[in-house]
Formats: sequence, structure tokens, C-alpha cells
Amino acid sequence: MSTPDFSCVVTAAPGGEAALRASVESVLDQTLRAVEALVVLPADGGAALRAAAASLAGRSPDRVRLLDAGARADCVAALRNTGLDAARGTYVLVLDDGERLQQHACRNLWEAGARTGADLVAGRWSRLTGDGEKEQEPPWQQPLFARSRCVERFADAPGLVVHDALVTGFCLRREARERHALRYGEDLTRSEILFGIEAAAAVGRIALVRRRIVSGRAAPDDGRDVAGLVEAHRRAGHLLEACGQAGLREERDGAFPLDHLVPLVRTFPLLPAAERDRIAATAARVLPDSVPEPVLLTLPPVERAGVRLLERGDADGVLAVAYALRRRGAVAAPLTVADDGRVYWQGEGADPALDVTELGHQHRTFGELRLMNRLTRCEPDGGRVLLEGRLVLPSHTGPGPSVAAHLEFRVRDGARTFRVPVDDLRRDATGIGWRTRADLTRVLRPLGVRDTVWDVRMVVDDGRIRAVSDLFAARDLVGPADRFPALPRLGPAAGDTWQPYVTLKDHLALRLEAHRRPARSAGRLVHYATHFRPARRARVLLRSLRTRRDRLHARGFKVSVYHSWLLRLPVRRGSVVFESHMGTCYGDSPRAIHEEVRGRGLPLRCVWSYDGSPEGFPADGSRLVRRWSWRYLWALARAEFWVDNQGFPQQLAKPSGTTYLQTWHGSAYKRMGFDETRVRLQNAPQRERLQQAVDRFDHFLVRSEHDVRTLARAYRLPERALLRTGYPRNDALLAARVRDETEGRLPRPALAAELGLPDHRKTVLYAPTFRGGPGRQRRRRLLLDAARFAERFGDRYTLLIRAHYLEAASLPVCPPGTVVDVSRHHDVSELLALSDVLVTDYSSIMFDFALLDRPIVLFAPDLEEYAADRGSYFDLREKAPGPVVATEDELFAVLARLKAVDCDFQERRSRFAREFGAYDRGDAARAVVDTVFARHAPAARTTGGGEAGR
Amino acid sequence: MSSRDVFIVSNSTDELGGVTGWMHRTAQLFQQRGHRVHTVGIHAAELKMALPDPPGYPVTALYPAHPPTPWAPRGLRDRFRITARRNEAARVAEKRRAVDRLSEVFRTARPGGVVIVSQVWAMEWVSEADTTGLRVIGMSHESYAYSRAGHRYRWIKRHYTGLDRWLVLTEEDADTWAGDGMNNVGFLPNALAALPDVPSPRCEKSVASIGRLSDQKGIDMLLDAWALVAPQRPDWHLDVYGAGEDEADLRARCTGLGLDGSVRWRGRTDDVPGALAASSVFVQSSRGEGFPLALMEAMASGVPCAAFDCAPGVREIVRDGEDGLLAPAGDIGALADRLLRLTGSPRLRDAMGARARVNVQRFSEAEIMSRWEELFAFLER
Repeated sequence: MSTPDFSCVVTAAPGGEAALRASVESVLDQTLRAVEALVVLPADGGAALRAAAASLAGRSPDRVRLLDAGARADCVAALRNTGLDAARGTYVLVLDDGERLQQHACRNLWEAGARTGADLVAGRWSRLTGDGEKEQEPPWQQPLFARSRCVERFADAPGLVVHDALVTGFCLRREARERHALRYGEDLTRSEILFGIEAAAAVGRIALVRRRIVSGRAAPDDGRDVAGLVEAHRRAGHLLEACGQAGLREERDGAFPLDHLVPLVRTFPLLPAAERDRIAATAARVLPDSVPEPVLLTLPPVERAGVRLLERGDADGVLAVAYALRRRGAVAAPLTVADDGRVYWQGEGADPALDVTELGHQHRTFGELRLMNRLTRCEPDGGRVLLEGRLVLPSHTGPGPSVAAHLEFRVRDGARTFRVPVDDLRRDATGIGWRTRADLTRVLRPLGVRDTVWDVRMVVDDGRIRAVSDLFAARDLVGPADRFPALPRLGPAAGDTWQPYVTLKDHLALRLEAHRRPARSAGRLVHYATHFRPARRARVLLRSLRTRRDRLHARGFKVSVYHSWLLRLPVRRGSVVFESHMGTCYGDSPRAIHEEVRGRGLPLRCVWSYDGSPEGFPADGSRLVRRWSWRYLWALARAEFWVDNQGFPQQLAKPSGTTYLQTWHGSAYKRMGFDETRVRLQNAPQRERLQQAVDRFDHFLVRSEHDVRTLARAYRLPERALLRTGYPRNDALLAARVRDETEGRLPRPALAAELGLPDHRKTVLYAPTFRGGPGRQRRRRLLLDAARFAERFGDRYTLLIRAHYLEAASLPVCPPGTVVDVSRHHDVSELLALSDVLVTDYSSIMFDFALLDRPIVLFAPDLEEYAADRGSYFDLREKAPGPVVATEDELFAVLARLKAVDCDFQERRSRFAREFGAYDRGDAARAVVDTVFARHAPAARTTGGGEAGR
Repeated sequence: MSSRDVFIVSNSTDELGGVTGWMHRTAQLFQQRGHRVHTVGIHAAELKMALPDPPGYPVTALYPAHPPTPWAPRGLRDRFRITARRNEAARVAEKRRAVDRLSEVFRTARPGGVVIVSQVWAMEWVSEADTTGLRVIGMSHESYAYSRAGHRYRWIKRHYTGLDRWLVLTEEDADTWAGDGMNNVGFLPNALAALPDVPSPRCEKSVASIGRLSDQKGIDMLLDAWALVAPQRPDWHLDVYGAGEDEADLRARCTGLGLDGSVRWRGRTDDVPGALAASSVFVQSSRGEGFPLALMEAMASGVPCAAFDCAPGVREIVRDGEDGLLAPAGDIGALADRLLRLTGSPRLRDAMGARARVNVQRFSEAEIMSRWEELFAFLER
């Protein structure tokens, strides 16, 4: 081979024969042919390593070169420098222990280099996760390599140096390396961190390719050499500073704790105690000053506490933080509340880095808090087992004076439990120390089959409150030496030994094992009986039968049975199926119509559909069916009326004799139906399906001519389907308004007391609109910071939060009584009648609330993007029934002087209500029932003949 | 430049369709550059494409007609279907013979030969054939999103991962595929066939749309957009070239919108440059595209474009604001706005049209051919 295109430098550590072989073979497997591997071995590498290298070189002598680093080979950096010096290829590329090049890596790098003329070409790499064989890319890599691109200076792709992107997976033009004399720092143990940044800073043009280059990088093991890591990071910072990139240095300082220190903290429960102490001691020596204080304060609270305790060298404290990091919401340290109300993670003194007020633990009490219960001893002790631990207690809450506790052993995936009392409880200022010696062999009596794993929890009871906590143990707390005898009910053949172990979630559990002959033989027999060929075949058969059975419950099968059989059933006169928001609630206009029907005693047989849980649906007088169940399909196929506010499943055709009343769920601001961009871009069959679903509607309620112009047109509804009655759900609002004007606001409806709303505070309802598309939704953060709201207005307003019925919001913990999540409440109208102020963005709720003539504030931080993205039917700013604000501060300013602001908007609000609710006159439910159920309405009442029969 | 053996494999040798046309055009170009070309189709089609003259290169069809699809017994009853089993056995044997024949064709290659598989289905035969010593390049003529939505996604993942290179149309598509785990992906755009000698004079007050009248081309959306434009540009016409299954519906819709006066249905045209010469603005309202040829032809004629930004290929061809105007896909208001801007300003039209004619030449046939040759050389390294 004359001049190779790539020279790949592979170094090896003693004992790393397999890793060396994998790396070199990945180089030889490259689809680009002119690639050579330079293997550099340490002087003390050992015979096995030498033999492995020699055999690789023997197999392809012209492509694998063995290099001797000679006397200076005392560190990896020196080995790599030796390799770099000997490289002849156009590009050089360095592989770390065990790293493998992807098959097309060199081709991809070469192509990008040739096309752009860049001196450094970087791509993606993945590393092993902590446990198992899985691989993962670091999370910051995705945005950095979102698109292939080429930058003239490294500062144009800051991610390259802010994170350690250039520790592997890149190649460097050899000439450039020689020109800039780039070398690995031989005085550094983590020299690759600095080398990548030096190279990026020295060369000019850099190409980034969105291809995976390297896989199999070792999982990060920053604990092994904290000092080296910090030193490399420090020098990288100086280097960036010297290049005039102080901003990048700051960014790098900001990323360092989250990239390295927090993951290090998270590994603590997996490490032996001595190792934890060593790491903490080293960290205390090298870490101070390497994370600037302002950077530390920007981290999330628990992460911040972890880094601070690591800096202090508090190994036990870091272990506790690690528990809180691995189990969100757990209290792992004795929280203290200072005089100013701030809450600190632990101990004395007001260290702002340990301030965890924002977690909101102070608003929760004993019993609600998840407390860390750390196990400190678990060992056999003279025929019994000694268990010792400590339950952390925050200073603001705790159990009453008479505390009792017991350990509960619960079978995994089952309900059976055994209890052991904890006899020694010592309570002090920061927790409860406990200790018990129990004869677990006699107490814990499993059957021996299918109940071999037991989890342990502690229950603390003070007579009123019961608090349950799992036992947290570091991985090294229990081992093979801690096993003790077991007595299963099926006898010694089922098992003979209890082995305590720590689960993946760091909790203590017991496993029944077989160590003596009878149990081992029985185990072998059972294994044979369940694994020999007929048993395996039986299992496969069983599985296929199960899939077949499951197919009978699948929607596709149900739909076909519905169409071919159920639709042939005769319609049952007088039966109505109601559904609101696809079965998620009992509310909205269908509920109002249902109540009207019930109130007038019409002889109709009502069926309600629910999705999930039937809780809150009317139990008396109407039948409940689960959405998509067979009974639901049966009810739909036989119903004379369908009443719904959003749409029965699109796949289901309407029976020929059925009348479909579509009440709809709100006037439109954003574009809907065939006016929506997403729908327009769908292909013809998809749009045809929507059209068919819409064609099922026989009646469609509208509130104003605006609805006729927008919704009716968007869904292509014929004029005869439109009922200009207004929404039945809004009858209650108009009634509430009349009551306001005649009797005043107080007393408030009973619901206020139920939700715990005091009369002296006004109620603000925050109801943002739906922001997702179709499909399953994730929990997302609200745009309004409820905690800040509570802090500012806690004494004046109570905030009700209602997320959209298709989404769930994640709320911060706030002082009790200031923020109430009413997302699960069934009827929005009741909430509206209760609220004094509405805060929303683009939700149709504003059209309804305007009927009450109470203040509305439109909090729309993303108005422009939303309107551009979803499209809108009118300009919100022009017609808004209240002030439109873009930031939280503006919103707070408006709420602070609401009365004054509201004066200016009264006129606009009533105009808004008139325009969008012209047909809402307070009698919608009666009018709708009279029209749609005319056949059953007055005539049926006089005969009073119950069910109308067929 | 060295002469190579180039094999181009497609689903069919002479089916009426874009990819087959591409195969023969590319084969001619390779031949003009001194390569030895051999085109292979899996089968000969019933609906023949008219090849202009006898091709100067061998054309092989492995099957005389479309081969039967594979069959596997499902359930107990199928296991006793003797005829079906015999047919399946015959199909397998026939496929083995076809693969052998393909291997024989490949064996005639001199060192440095290249196999270009232009369609995924054909890969089923190529992957079983003996390609020792040859470089195999796969191609996809559609965008990532389009492949993802259809069944071809699974085929691509199964058959294309092991290839030397597989080519998509744009770098953006290549990046998306790379993010999906395809590391051998590269990109090469389609070529623009010819540059008309003179650009369109851009003096007619006409907006042209050229394409099949089918759902994918989104003419319904174009009509909606034109309904917003027409009242403000009463002297302009929308010329819709093309025919297709939706024609009746679209005409009805046009009448419904009251646009009969300003929309002219021109029917199918073979003289695209002529149609473009008679218009000053080109509009494309597709729901999905690969690397639209019509857009390139319009630009080659110096006609500025307004188009929905519906695929990476469109973004690649039109540089928004420089040589054309793009609107977010499906946003009718935005498309109408782009049309109003173009129809409202002759200076804007001239500037963009002139730039478009220059810029689109980066996709000229000569340019694309040399990129192919660079790729061949690269794969040999």
C-alpha cells in the first residue's frame, strides 16, 4: 500500500486483547480499502496482548503495523503520539480502548473531507451504557449533528468544544496535524479531552457529518480519575480563553457539571464504600473553584446539591443525593427551614447551592413525602438477621410522639405479605434510627414456587398517619456472605437459602435460592421439564393461541363485526348514546341535554360512554358502557340517537335509522377541519374518511353566524344540519349571570367548598389550549409558572388549572390552597361559573366565559407562531375580550390591577359575547330536546309508557 | 477517464414511468461518456414505453412478464393446497434461474464494474446474484417522509443496509436516513434534461401549473389559493396543464369557486418549454414530491416559481427568496401571498427568473454525470 487514506491509531491496555481485536478488525472491515491500523502496545503490556497483536498483524501484514513505543511508553498519550508520528495516511484517526469504527465510517469521513476540503471531519459516536450491552449517544450530540454541515471556525459549531464531542469519532488531516504540531499531552491522564479541542481550535475548516463513526466507546468512568478529568477541563478552559473565546469557556463551564459531575454522583450507589470515600476525597481536593458559583446556581436543585456535596467531599451526602436523583421527588436529607422560609437540603448555614425551596417539599407533610430510609446493616447474627437503618425526617414535619414501625415483606407482583416488628426506634432531630433482630427464617414462609422474590419496605405508623418507605441500600451492602436459611412450605426441595440483594432501583430484596442438594436437583428437574423440546413447543403453541385470542379484542375485528353483524340489528326506539370528549368526561353539552331529558322525565333510555374509569358518570338511571367495548358497539348499533360533542369513532358507520346530534365543543379561533393545514396535506383516502365521519352528523349546534362561517364551512356541513340554538352547556352560565345581577356572587356554589376555595380570595381559572397533534400525548410543562403565581398572588387569588382534556400537565408543588388542579373535573361549565377571572390563550373556553361578563386575560406568549402554524379565523388582538399579554410579567401586572384594566374592556367584552354567542339565550337544552327528540317529547310524556319497545 | 462496465437494474425494461425513462436516459449518457452500459429489467412490461430508437446497449429482461408474488401457507387449510405449493415451487425455481441469468450478465464485467439498482424491488434479485468484484449502488427516487409512510421503508432497511452506497435525492434526506441508522447513504440529485435556448419572455399575464391532475399534485389547494389571488389580479389567468383522474372534480370545484373566467384547463401537453414560454409565473402546489422535474424545467425556462415547501427536494431546487418563493406546505394563504408578490412585480419576476435559469444549471446533465463518475472512482478507493 503506497499512501493509505486513513491511518487508525489503536492503543491497548494490559488485559485488553478482546478490545484490541475488535478495534483492529473494525478497521480492516472498512469499505474504504486504503486504511491501515497502527497498533501501539505499552512496554508492560504482557505476553497475551503481544500475541494478540502479532496474530492480527500476521493476518494482514500490509494493513496492520505494530509499533513499539519504547521506553517512553508510560501513558496512553505517549502511545498515541507514537502512533501519530508513524502515521502515513492522508487522515489520522485515533481509537480508544474497545472502540469500533462503523463499516462505512472512513468512506463517510473521506467523502465529507474531499467535498469540503476540511482539515477535521467529525461525526457521531455512541458509548456503552452503565449496565448491559446497550449503546447510547450522548444527549447533546443530536442537536450538534442535526444536519451535515461545514464551518469555517470551530466557534461556529460551539457544541464541538462545549461538550466533549471530540474525544473520538473524528479524523484529522495528517498535514494539518503536523503543521500545527498537535500532540496528546503526556502529562495528562485524560489527554483526549484537550487534544480534540486543541485540534478544533488550530485547524480552519471543520466538517460535521451526521453519520455514526464510532461505537462501543466505554461507559464514562469519571470516578476513576477525577483529578485528571478536572485538570483536562481546566486546561481546556484556558485554551478557549487564549483563543479569545471566553463565551465558549463559560458555556463549557456550564456544561461540565451536567456532563460529568452529575453522572458521577448518580453512580455512587453502585460503588463500594471505599471507592466512594476515595472519589469524594479526591473531589474535595481538586473540585473547588473548577465549577464557578454562578454556574452552580443555574443547575436544578438536587443536581446542585450533589455537586456542592461532592466539592465538600461528603461521601454519604453524595450517596443520599444520588438516591434523590435516581428517584425523583424523594427526600434524601434532613431538610431544614431557615427563618426566611428558605429550605435547605441539609444542615447548618444558608448555602445557596443547597437551597431546594423550589422542590416544594415544605408544602408536603409526613405521609405525603417520599422519605429515604437508608439501610446501614443487613447481616445474619446468631440464627437471626440483624437489620439496621435510618429514616430521614425533614425538620418541618414528622410523625406524632407515639411511633411504631414494622418491616413488611411483600412478594414481587403479588399481595402476600409478612410482617416483622421493629423493636428499637430512636428518634432524634434529623431522623429515626431503627434496628431489629428478627428470625426471618421462621417468619418468612414462602410457598417456594412462583414466589421466590420478596421486596422489603418499612411502615411507620403514629396512630394517624402511615408512611411507607423502601429500604435503600448501596450495592455493596449485602453480598453472598449475608445469606441465611429459608424454610419454604413445599419443603427443602423448593429452596433452602435466602439471598439478600439490591435491586436495580437500589432497594433491598430477598431471593429464594437453591444451594443444597435436594433443592438443586429439584431445580434441575424442573428446568428440564419446562425446557425440553415438547415443553418449548407447547409454550410456542400457547403463545400463538394467546395472540389469536387477543385478536378477538382488537379494534379491527370489532369494527368488522360491527359492520357485518351489529348493524343488522333493529334500532331500539328511544335509546340514546351520549359521549363527551371521546368518553373522557361526563360534561359539556351532552350532559346538559341529558339532564334536561332526565329533568323532564322523557321516556328515553340513556347510555353513557366512558373511557378509562366510570367514576363521576351518572350511576342511576343510565347505563354505562366502556368506549370500544362490545357493549358500547352494541349500544351504538341499536341506538335511535347518538349525542356527542366531538365524534364517535370515525371507523363506525351510523346505522340507517339513527339520528346523530353533534353538539360540538366550542367556537373556533384556530382553523379546523378541512381548513386545517394538516388535514389539507393528508392524502385523498384520509380526507375521504374525515368527510365520511362528518357526513354522519344530522344536527350540528351553532352559537352564532361566526360558527356558520367557520365550523360549518370547514366541515362542509349542509345548511339543514345546523341548529341555531346555542350550546346547552352555556345555559348554566347565563343562569349564573342572571343570579349575579340579581343576588350577587355569594354564596358560592357548593363546588367551591368542595375544592377548598375560600370566599375572601378570588378564583383565577387558567385553561390553556391543546398544543399537540394526534396521537399519544406526553406530560408537558405549562407556559404559566404556577409556583411563581402562588408566590406572588397566593394571598389574593386561588389558581385553578385545567389542562386540555387530551393532555396532562405536570404541576410544581405549591403551598396548599393556592393552586388546584381541576383537569380531572368533569364539567367545565361548573368551573367557569365558579371563577372570577379567566386566563387562557386560544382556547374556545373564552367564547363561553364571555357570556358571564367577567374579566378575561389572554396570556399568549406564542401568539404569532401559533397563528402562523395553525392558522386562525380572526385577529385575536383586534377582537380580544380582554388584554392580550405576551409575558408572565405582563400577566402579573394585569392581574395586580385587574379592576382598573377591566374597566377598559367591558365594552369590548360584551361586543365579543354578542358576536360569538348570538344564539346563546339560556334555553338551548330545551330547544334542542324539543327539536331532536320531538317524537318522544310531549306526546311520550302524556302516555308515560316507559320504554317504547321496538 | 476510464471506461467502466455499468449495469443499471430497474423493475422493468420498458414500463411507462419515470424511473424506466430515467434508466434509459442515464444509460445513453453513460454510453456517450465511453462506458459500457447494460440495462436490466426484472420483467418486460405489457404497457410498453416507446423507446425513441433502438438503444445502442443491451437490454435484458429477466422475466417475459411480471413474476408471480411469493406465497406462504397460512393456517391448516393452506397446507393442503397442492396447486399453490406447486406454483410456489415453480416460482422459486424460476427465480433461481433468473438470478443465475443476472449473475451471468454481471460476470461479463471487467474489473471496476458498477451495478446501479434504481428501485428497491429489483434489489431482491440483485442481492441474491453474484456481484463479486462489482460495486453495488442502490437508489431511492423519493423523499424520506414518503418512504417512511409506505411499505418501501421496510424493504429499504432490509435490502439496502449492506450495499456499498445507496443514494437519495438530497443531502437533507441523506441526513435523515443516517439518523435512522443507514450509514451507507449518500445523495445525488436528478438531472435537468435540457436547457431551452431562449428563456420565457415573461410577458404573458399567465400563471402555469404543470402536472397530473391527481390528488398528490394538490390542484384543489391551488384552486383555493387562486380564489384569493384572482379578485386582486383580474387580468391574470391560471393555466392548468395536465390530465388525470381528478379532472372532473377539479373542474366542478373551479366552477363552484367562481373561477371559470380566470382558470384555463389546457389538458395534457408534450411541449413543456412551449407552455412555459407562454407564462410568466410557475406554481406548484403538491402534497408530496421527490425531486420535481417540472420545477427544474420552469426554472430552466427562466420562469420564477411559487411552490409549497413539501419535501427536501423542493428546498434543494428553489432557494427561497433568491430564485423562487416557497410557502409552508398546505398553507393556502401563504401560497396566494407568494403568487400576489410574483404577479404584482415584473421586476421581481425578471430578477428571480434570470437567477433561476442560472442556478438550476448546477443540476445539468454534464454536472450530474461527472458526479456519478466521481462516485465510481470514490467507491473504488
